Amino acid sequence: MDLAEKLNILSAAAKYDVSCSSSGSNRKNKPGGVGNASASGICHSWSQDGRCISLLKILQTNFCVYDCAYCVNRASNDLPRAAFTPEEVADLTINFYRRNYIEGLFLSSAVWPNPNQTMEALLRTVKLLRTQYRFNGYLHVKAIPGADWRLIAETGTLVDRMSVNIELPTSESLQLLAPQKKRENILQPMKLIGSQIVESQEERKQSRKAPAFVPAGQSTQLIVGATADTDLRILQLSESLYRRVHLKRVYYSAYVPVSTNPKLPTLASPPLNREHRLYQADWLLRFYGFEAKELLNEASPNFHLQLDPKSDWALRNLHLFPLEVNKVDYRFLLRVPGIGVKSAQRILTARRFHSLDFEDLQKLGVVMKRARYFLTCKGKYFGQIPYREETIKEKLLAKPTKVENYTQLALFSDVEDQQPVQDALTSITGEL
Amino acid sequence: MIIYLYDGSFEGLLTAIYEAYYRSEKPEQIMAQQSYQPDLFSQPRVIATDSDKAGKVYDAIERKISHEALEHVFYVYLSELPGVGTLIYRYLQFGWRVGADINGHLSLEPVREVLRISQKVGVERHRMLGLLRFKKIQGELYYAPFEPDYNIVGLMAPHFARRLADQNWIIHDLKRGVAAFYNQERWLIRELAGTGQLNWEENEAFYQELWQNYFQRIAVEGRTNRKVQRQFMPARYWHHLIEKPTQ
Ligand code: SF4
Repeated sequence: MDLAEKLNILSAAAKYDVSCSSSGSNRKNKPGGVGNASASGICHSWSQDGRCISLLKILQTNFCVYDCAYCVNRASNDLPRAAFTPEEVADLTINFYRRNYIEGLFLSSAVWPNPNQTMEALLRTVKLLRTQYRFNGYLHVKAIPGADWRLIAETGTLVDRMSVNIELPTSESLQLLAPQKKRENILQPMKLIGSQIVESQEERKQSRKAPAFVPAGQSTQLIVGATADTDLRILQLSESLYRRVHLKRVYYSAYVPVSTNPKLPTLASPPLNREHRLYQADWLLRFYGFEAKELLNEASPNFHLQLDPKSDWALRNLHLFPLEVNKVDYRFLLRVPGIGVKSAQRILTARRFHSLDFEDLQKLGVVMKRARYFLTCKGKYFGQIPYREETIKEKLLAKPTKVENYTQLALFSDVEDQQPVQDALTSITGEL
Repeated sequence: MIIYLYDGSFEGLLTAIYEAYYRSEKPEQIMAQQSYQPDLFSQPRVIATDSDKAGKVYDAIERKISHEALEHVFYVYLSELPGVGTLIYRYLQFGWRVGADINGHLSLEPVREVLRISQKVGVERHRMLGLLRFKKIQGELYYAPFEPDYNIVGLMAPHFARRLADQNWIIHDLKRGVAAFYNQERWLIRELAGTGQLNWEENEAFYQELWQNYFQRIAVEGRTNRKVQRQFMPARYWHHLIEKPTQ
């Protein structure tokens, strides 16, 4: 089989993995080498589905011994199969990289013929790239659950990011759709990678020469909408992954129907809107100081599809508002719908010099359509409607804004990589 | 109305700023000579570029205001937008008074305007770091043509000199007829009008085709979203891409 055909098969098989981030590493080029990593990440193109293309995203092989119901590559699915040699992957990566098509490589694999041999193949490829090809660009490699820790650990010393996909939020869901996978086998390497990262960071504080281990951190992905799990369950899982395993990112992937298995729901289209809400909530966990239990509870365990999670929370907590924009401290400023991290920082800067009124806020990038109901400026309220949950809710629900349209898709997933220094795109980048 | 005219270079602009500070005859506008249209009311003053004077202004911005302000001024200059000479003059006038705090004064028009334009230039630079495409020419040389809105070739070169350090390359701004040349040691900027016929390396077409196919295949059907695609990758940049997004 020629290289072109392999690439067709093994990129099509990899595309459902949503992570394409190339940020978080500042690996330097070495004399005589090629490539470096950009800490802020760079997008090299945008595919027809509007997602950033940063890394060459391929599988080493799509031959698989497992039969996970939600996956195109499952053993029982009849589709063309292929496997790259390490040399082929390295050649593609280097030639794409030298033409500036990509930031680096995201290498994953189906499991063939067993976890250890799969991990060995991945390790051989990254070793070849780093040593023989002297490639110093970004590498993201999957750790295969069930593989020997020594193989995973050695891979970790060569790459920028590693991920183990958690796939489904609960053991029950795994049992149902991927019975060959055990939750423990997934969580164990995650924890080990996590503690190894922390350890190496500590060592590097002592000595710059200490080897880096997965410097861009660890991520994972889970599928949304293939099982009955609630948003609350998912968000609590993410929260504990961030707080306890120090994950850098959790990616959410709306389930794209790829099978007619009766265990799977029949969906007309992927639940993109739900995925979008999860990304927004994830953002609130990481950058806005929210906790999962503030956003959802057993009584209402799923996000409102027409209302962003922050507005939803604010409406349920009207007694905390309205806040005086010239006084309120940063922590609370972040909790105002329509104010994001950037605009909150701008407000802090600007009000050092003069007190702000309504018009100023707009210029600072605050989304007034939402913020107006929750703020006062110099003591004056600009909501222009009775301060009650129902009336404000009605206003907020009044047809989605343009901004909302833009953010709809998984775009959000990589938004931090889009325009890191500049914030021209602030309004569409997770500023809630 | 007094107008200072400079030769279009950054040094020229800084010299004009210097003169505006020391001469008693203050300008109402500062603009590049090329963009000046004589009219009845304006009294042009041609400012001769002087690198000593320019150097003094350069240092003063960094010392008395901030390094950040200097960077903003340079980015705004590179935008080549009409009126930026005067804008930079107003921004600095204010900067001499308030110093390092300048960019906090967002209620002031020149400050906001400088930040806005500087950001646009920065955004384009960042975007082009990703969208630039090299093609391999016979004789171990990579060539990347592009047509940026702003004059950013000099802002891009250092990035590629670090990254593609072991290859020879040319980044060619076709719009302005300038190019950055790199020979595995250092880079410099020279005028380059056209290139004539280029002979591509033998397997250039092969990798281009692989990339085009990859681009088509990586999108997930059922999630098509052209609007977002265009939002981040405006169609005016498509011409020099290897991949072909469809309308
Ligand atoms: S092991 Fe991975 S590739 Fe194989 S069927 Fe399961 S999810 Fe798909």
